[in-house]
Amino acid sequence: MNKVLSKKGLTVCLAVAVIVIVVGAFLAGFVGYNPDSTHKNYSVIEVTDAGYSASDAQDEFVNFCKDEISKTYAVSDVKVTQSYTTGTSVFTYYVDGTPDRAFCDKLETAIAGCTIEGVNGALASVTFHEGIDQNYSDYVWRTAVGAAVAFVLLFVYVAIRFRLGMGVTVLIAGVHDALLLLALAAIVRLPVSPAFAGVAVFVLLLSGLLNLFVFGRMRTDLRTDEFKAKSASEAVSDSVRNARPAVLVVSAAIAVVAVILAVVGVFTGIDLTFAMIAALIGIALATYSALVVSPAVYALIKQTWDAKRAEKAKYNYSSDKKKKEAKPAEAAGELE
Amino acid sequence: MGKKKSVALIVLVTVVLLGLLFISITPTFPVKTPYSLQSLLNTVRLGADLGGGYGAVYYPEGVISAEEYAGEVARYESGEGSDPAEQYVAHGGVYLDSEKVLDENGEVLESFKTEFETASRIFKQRFEDKNFTECSVWVEDDYTIRVEVSDVSQKETVSNVFSVLAYSGELYFSDTDTSTNSKNVLMTGGSEHISGADVVDMGDSGYGIAVHLTKAGRAKFAEITGDLVSSSSSDSSGSTSATLYLYMGTEVLMSAGVDSALDQNVIYIGGSSSSGSVAYPTRESAQTIACVINSALNEEDVFNLSLQPQVYSYGATMGDYAALIAASVIGVLVLAMIVFSLVRYKGMGLAHVYGFLTFALIFILCLAFITQITVNVAGLLAIVLSAAMMVGFNFYAFRNIRSEFYTGKTLTSAIKSGYKKSLAVTIDTHIILLIASIVLYFISLGSAQYMALIFLIGTVISAACTLAVTRFYLYMFLAQPKNKIAFCNFKREETEDE
Repeated sequence: MNKVLSKKGLTVCLAVAVIVIVVGAFLAGFVGYNPDSTHKNYSVIEVTDAGYSASDAQDEFVNFCKDEISKTYAVSDVKVTQSYTTGTSVFTYYVDGTPDRAFCDKLETAIAGCTIEGVNGALASVTFHEGIDQNYSDYVWRTAVGAAVAFVLLFVYVAIRFRLGMGVTVLIAGVHDALLLLALAAIVRLPVSPAFAGVAVFVLLLSGLLNLFVFGRMRTDLRTDEFKAKSASEAVSDSVRNARPAVLVVSAAIAVVAVILAVVGVFTGIDLTFAMIAALIGIALATYSALVVSPAVYALIKQTWDAKRAEKAKYNYSSDKKKKEAKPAEAAGELE
Repeated sequence: MGKKKSVALIVLVTVVLLGLLFISITPTFPVKTPYSLQSLLNTVRLGADLGGGYGAVYYPEGVISAEEYAGEVARYESGEGSDPAEQYVAHGGVYLDSEKVLDENGEVLESFKTEFETASRIFKQRFEDKNFTECSVWVEDDYTIRVEVSDVSQKETVSNVFSVLAYSGELYFSDTDTSTNSKNVLMTGGSEHISGADVVDMGDSGYGIAVHLTKAGRAKFAEITGDLVSSSSSDSSGSTSATLYLYMGTEVLMSAGVDSALDQNVIYIGGSSSSGSVAYPTRESAQTIACVINSALNEEDVFNLSLQPQVYSYGATMGDYAALIAASVIGVLVLAMIVFSLVRYKGMGLAHVYGFLTFALIFILCLAFITQITVNVAGLLAIVLSAAMMVGFNFYAFRNIRSEFYTGKTLTSAIKSGYKKSLAVTIDTHIILLIASIVLYFISLGSAQYMALIFLIGTVISAACTLAVTRFYLYMFLAQPKNKIAFCNFKREETEDE
């Protein structure tokens, strides 16, 4: 990565990004995101432990019921809740399939006959439910508006304090990262909840941070005589090399936390793993855009603007020549 | 800085940091029965994903649960009541009352379906407007509503939240108290008279609700309050004060004493009574009422279905120990970072460790004491991002100091110019990220908003610790060693008189 991407390479990268975003938008718009356990439709069997089992026997009781249910339905998740008023425990088993009253009665009979110490199975009741998630969009829209305003402010600040080209590049990088994250989550069918909006905001902020690391360094470097003598592409690539350790340290530190929590999630609650996978995708995107896309975009902008500036600064020989040609003609006219 | 002053400062700072570290992360232990000392980390409010929360299943009138049906059967078998099999029809996991919900063909009444659809739509809106860190709403078995939200018990009464958000009926002002069934409607509370409601801070009196009136609403409200005052002054009690109630259906949302005709655009309700009890002690408790008012302003949003909640609590959706494990993982990584910085930068690393501990402890204090903060998984990422930013900028400054030093400058001069070199980008980055997080905090909702608040605080602390605190610690430590260059893990051939 010692050189910035060529114009052709950048075009390919951005074209791929646009295709991914379009496909992701299509999927998100027509199929929607894959909901995680907190927002998916469900089919559950509920066992109400009205006999107030001893706390140390409860785990065994939960597993007994799970084994009984597993004989007919695949159990994907188990949740234990407690009534706020009576303190009764309710074991909720998320199942694949549609249970019915007959199965619940059969299960109730099996539970009544269980011989776990500290459990009164005869007092347990069994029921089933099907739930349909009510999608809501206000959270997402408000976050999208907030992110858009943040992008604009990011652009304005960087354009004023750094350079206009850097402002444009940071804006492109931020939009690139946030939209790619949303698109990739839709394409790989990553289970998400509205809390995913928080992860998207995290990626936006991380993208801003990493890009500012790069452009902060570039701003300092491009002022030096050494860098002024270099071509736009060379100057940008050398400066990015100087900023790379800081960018990698920050990205790696956050990525390590996300990787460990993703692994932990497999054992505690799979939603944690999904959230951390989303975060990892975001971290990878932000790092990639800060070290690859942004420098290439800025090198291209700088190259174009440098060329224009050089063109403006060039002595205009043609107009001088025209003046010279016009002068003898004027003189001849005067003579006539 | 003199050596003695430096020693005194090092001791003082170390003692303060160790003290804060103790109260921040020490595990809970009993102090004196029944009391126990809880660490500050233990008091941080967690979202539903890391700390669990509360849920409720709402049963409309005419729909009962399987447990309730079993109770009816038991009652019938013991000789009480009528046969529930004649009255109720099973529908999925619930039972429908054939008299209230079904028609003569056994089909669900269209009027009931319409009412239920409106109720579920408004429920979704109310819970969304309430802005919990997490909130899920399902329609269960076609005719019940299940809602799950993050833990609100530290901010308002759990049962109150679920019951108030289920209020049904039209909004109206009345002078009739709850003891009388037939209410005297003085003024309707629809969009004709009320444009919206929001929460206001009333200082020592807690929070209040500002009800914004339309032009017609203002005129009507002045008229009814004028009438109320004149009627109360002419009655036998001789009092010039009357009580005005704002009802939703049969439930009182708010009540206030009226002493004079009120001709104003906004009416504020809240404050404290003479006994000292505050009507809305927290912003959230007032917000619940405001949400309910805002959801009932349009005629098409009004429903009359009475829904009774059965409230329950549930554990963290990402696992019971997810928060503890996440904190432990971050702790181990911090230790690794401390070891790395001490090995790589020695004395500068030591200053960084002190700076980072200051950052972390102030952050924990903020998380524990700022009640608006709730940490969910996005908040966790915000904490990690702020910490990484702080570490990144400190290392960036150290790298600049190192490069300045190897250009031949003295150590003091290298530190000055190294910090100077990293100052602009450090300030710019913190400012822009601060602005971005402020914007996100004020515009976005839910998870993103809570995440932005945490990052906002993290950015401010990171800026202070990077720009001032770590640098101060570096000068504090540099006063001690004889060989300052070796202390900073630098090497130079010639000896230097610093």
